[in-house]
Amino acid sequence: MHLPEIDKFANLESPLHSWDPRVRIVSICMLILSIVLLQDLKIAFFGLGLAIMLVFLSKIPFSFVFIHLRWVLLFSLALFGVLSLTVPGNSLVVLPFLSISWEGVRLGLLIGLRAVSAALLIFPMIGTAKFDLTLKALQKMKIPNKLIQLLMFTYRYIFLFLDEERKIVMAANSRGWVRKTNIFSLKTTGNIVGMLLVRSFERAERIRNAMLSRGYNGRLKTLDEFALNRKDFVKAFLIMTAAWLLYFAEWIR
Amino acid sequence: MKRVIRIRSLEYIYPEGTKALRGINLDVFQGESIGLIGPNGAGKSTLLLHLNGILKARSGLVEVLGMKAEEKNFVEIRQRVSLVFQEPDDQLFMPTVFDDVAFGPVNAGYTQEKVGEKVRKALKDVGVEGYEKRCPHHLSFGEKKRIALATVLSMEPEILILDEPSSNLDPGGRRHLIKLLKSFSLTKIISGHDLELILEICPRVILLDDGQIVTNGEARNVLSNKSLVESHGLEVPLSLKLSDLSHP
Repeated sequence: MHLPEIDKFANLESPLHSWDPRVRIVSICMLILSIVLLQDLKIAFFGLGLAIMLVFLSKIPFSFVFIHLRWVLLFSLALFGVLSLTVPGNSLVVLPFLSISWEGVRLGLLIGLRAVSAALLIFPMIGTAKFDLTLKALQKMKIPNKLIQLLMFTYRYIFLFLDEERKIVMAANSRGWVRKTNIFSLKTTGNIVGMLLVRSFERAERIRNAMLSRGYNGRLKTLDEFALNRKDFVKAFLIMTAAWLLYFAEWIR
Repeated sequence: MKRVIRIRSLEYIYPEGTKALRGINLDVFQGESIGLIGPNGAGKSTLLLHLNGILKARSGLVEVLGMKAEEKNFVEIRQRVSLVFQEPDDQLFMPTVFDDVAFGPVNAGYTQEKVGEKVRKALKDVGVEGYEKRCPHHLSFGEKKRIALATVLSMEPEILILDEPSSNLDPGGRRHLIKLLKSFSLTKIISGHDLELILEICPRVILLDDGQIVTNGEARNVLSNKSLVESHGLEVPLSLKLSDLSHP
């Protein structure tokens, strides 16, 4: 079964893998921010190049990245198509009943470039450390504890949830149920979803009991595992400089 | 012998109205291994959940290690009384094995070095050294069971409570678990339907049905009483049946 493991390549060795997760998250977040605020197409292309370069440096296979990126690409493509045909401006191509405007193409392309660049940067940012380490880094960065717990439990139990869903569907299939586009199928899918929710609720209660019995008091405590060194700051400086250069290039344009 | 658990006239009713416990009286002494048996819905798990304050008594008294089971004592009780749940996926909720085994000691406020030491010892005790960085969802059921046990051993409890410890384990895993539990000298309360396991580990058993203690006595005597165990939805363990056949 395909499991959504973003940290599948967290055990590789690369300059991004060895980077302190806290500094890495902050630096790449800054870069993402500067890219998504770009208005100039040429600079946005440069931003995309930078994102591709960081993915390359992280050694995460592009095939893996592409699998997770396909929905962003599909969405960007759909948006590009709609904007090209609907944004008024100078006609680039005129077809019977349709005209593609230069402004629409430019806007569609710009949004697509920014979205793909931002999505690409998620991989060097999160995919280069085990997810638990990323969560600990977020905790050290004073991200609200409740949000950390929410992310942690989502990550821990998504696999179990998918497994449970697979088992229920298998039980339904073994009694002759086949998913079709009819009322019965919709009703069965609704029942499966409902059953999954009930089971999840019951499991949540049992997990809470297990946590309470080991001293949980509403706050998640973890051990400090991080130590900053000079290289972390050099890498942060390089990424921050790139982010500022993009912003500066946009400003002097 | 020092009494570690004292329960008097314990009653518990679930919010939807199910009367789960009816006037339970029980004493457990230090170092004892007790089997808690009974059919499904007898109230075994409900009783166990009272012993470290997960459920609060509606009426009656629960005293653990000399402390009344009430809000102000729960932190200390939970550090000294550990509960291993039936389903390991409910017990293992952290992203890595290390974090899970460290959860109790970290909450107890131990230093980083001390926590690491306790985690390594607990994993060694259950025979899964080197699993620290593994994710629970990548482990086999048997491994998860062992690590679930390690999560409470790391707290070095005085009383260990296990709910259906052998359910879904393969024979090898079950045998390993029996050996492991027999090697612990701390007070143990084991609930379940695996009467062979209980017979092997626990000299005393308590038969619970419909929220009441039916009998409380020497394991061999209780479990070999065919009419008694069968009238409460259980069966005489095979080893006792065979020993009856060989010594008619």
